[in-house]
Amino acid sequence: MTTAPLQINLNGFLNELKKKFVVIDCRKNILAPKQYLFPAQETAFNFDIKKSRLKTLPPIKPFILFGLPLRDLEAITRLDEIMSRPNKNYYYFRRRSKTTIIGLTDEQFNIPPGGDLILQKLSPKDFAVMPVTAKGTVLIKKMALARPSKNIPASQYAENKTMPKLRLLLQDAEMLKDAVAWSWKNYPQIWDELAKICLGCGICAYVCPLCHCFSTEDSMDIAGKSCKRCQNWAACTLPEFSRVAGGHNFHKTLKERYYNWFYHKFARSYEEFGEPQCVACGRCQAACPARIDIEKILINITQKYKIANRA
Amino acid sequence: MQNRFSKKLKIAIYDFTDCEGCEVKLVSIKERLVHLADRFNIVNWRLGQEKIKDGPYAAAIIEGTPVTQDEIDLLRELREKSKLIISLGACASIAGIPGIMNKSERKKWYAKIYGANYKPKGIDALPLSAYVKVNHMIHGCPVDEDELVRTLEELLSGKTPRYRRYSVCLECKLAGNQCRLLHKKICFGPITQGGCKAICISGGSPCYGCFGVREEANIPALVKILRRFASEKEINNHVTMFFNQIPEYKNVFKQALKNYKK
Ligand code: SF4
Ligand code: SF4
Ligand code: SF4
Ligand code: SF4
Ligand code: SF4
Repeated sequence: MTTAPLQINLNGFLNELKKKFVVIDCRKNILAPKQYLFPAQETAFNFDIKKSRLKTLPPIKPFILFGLPLRDLEAITRLDEIMSRPNKNYYYFRRRSKTTIIGLTDEQFNIPPGGDLILQKLSPKDFAVMPVTAKGTVLIKKMALARPSKNIPASQYAENKTMPKLRLLLQDAEMLKDAVAWSWKNYPQIWDELAKICLGCGICAYVCPLCHCFSTEDSMDIAGKSCKRCQNWAACTLPEFSRVAGGHNFHKTLKERYYNWFYHKFARSYEEFGEPQCVACGRCQAACPARIDIEKILINITQKYKIANRA
Repeated sequence: MQNRFSKKLKIAIYDFTDCEGCEVKLVSIKERLVHLADRFNIVNWRLGQEKIKDGPYAAAIIEGTPVTQDEIDLLRELREKSKLIISLGACASIAGIPGIMNKSERKKWYAKIYGANYKPKGIDALPLSAYVKVNHMIHGCPVDEDELVRTLEELLSGKTPRYRRYSVCLECKLAGNQCRLLHKKICFGPITQGGCKAICISGGSPCYGCFGVREEANIPALVKILRRFASEKEINNHVTMFFNQIPEYKNVFKQALKNYKK
């Protein structure tokens, strides 16, 4: 973008934004912003039995997601891609197309990882405004507060202290893929150990900005007049996850199911998308009641893998 | 199984010893109950209409714990006459609060209150499944209205009612709660079946597990976490609130507590 640098006062900007638009402030959420694009429970359709007709879904009104850190912006960029294959996920993009995303960061970056607009910290109150997409530029034009920068010298940019080592590992996605796939047969001890302490509660998948599994539930309303299909969040550590019609379960034990979480994120995803499905946001680590830390696990596995495969 | 063109399913509703809280929930679903009354043939419900009909029943929905021989006999009779036995609420499903009763303590109190010669009629409070095969359990203390309606709707649609196969933790995260376990506070959410919307945790209490143990719950893993900050006694005091009379507690949980090593 070649527009002159703009600068805002954060609170003033947010207040005006809230007056003009529907704003969801994501800064204090435990769940990732995916919850607004891919909600925990989504009605896929509602069928009127008497009229033998689908009822139209209520329209989605435009909304702004505010305050996303860079890694969450990156996650949504990835999620957009995941949800585009093999076909565009209608429900996801129905919401996504109405969303404007505003990032907020005190980190330095070269290429914006996603979002429509990024606010980058200059001083505790002042933020530089960087439009990323046309949507972001349009939004800025609607805001009276934006004013040219007085060129406040940028403060020292902060370093992101969340999972720095995992962040590094993610850069070597191919090795990570090989190591995780290798570990199942060659380092089963780690999966045995983890299966002993993992509660299988699924929180790691629910809080993850990139996990996107759901199960389908059909139901009839109690009056017997309409039926409905819902898509509900699922998690691969739960026993229902891999069960298919007829009751057969592909991942029978918690060990297999928990491994699947890693396998999908770091191996299968690499095969399918060329990238792991993780941005090192730290949520799974922070929310796990068993205090399982995927950063430590992956460091452990890759070390063992490297030693074993040293030619 | 019934479909929307066939005859109404005959459903009998009974209550054994309990607080009737779950039946109150059934009444409180209001207009949805009107639909249910319209689509089912509801009989023998003491709190509802006084329509007394003999079996066979498509289903007998039973609230409460049988604690006298008469109640146990009636339960066995209902089993004979019903295609499905469905328990309503924690008392019937997992013995719940009545199941806390401790025999040796009880003896002491009987002697104190009624005198040494008193012969109690009550038997241990056990879940329905201790006596007969139970086809489905509607969990909760009390049951959740939406889960109750869902189960009945599934019956009407000719499906086998399903359990929630996720933990309370899902609904707890959706409610935006901080995790109690991470703050060194007792919680049985991870091993408990979801469906209650995590109301206790949102209200500042632990999940005591009134929705019963989730399928394939990793009980030893939870015990390990709890023991890091709570004593065996403290954990037992909490867990016996609802789990005192279920095999998962007697066989797995207790053992895990015993086996725990720092
Ligand atoms: S949040 Fe932790 S305990 Fe729960 S399933 Fe994930 S790794 Fe296991
Ligand atoms: S750190 Fe955990 S929650 Fe965050 S993206 Fe990676 S796997 Fe998902
Ligand atoms: S890691 Fe598991 S829950 Fe997450 S997207 Fe993959 S299969 Fe689904
Ligand atoms: S507070 Fe309890 S129910 Fe909530 S996430 Fe933690 S363990 Fe699960
Ligand atoms: S949070 Fe636990 S104790 Fe409370 S209603 Fe839910 S299952 Fe029952």
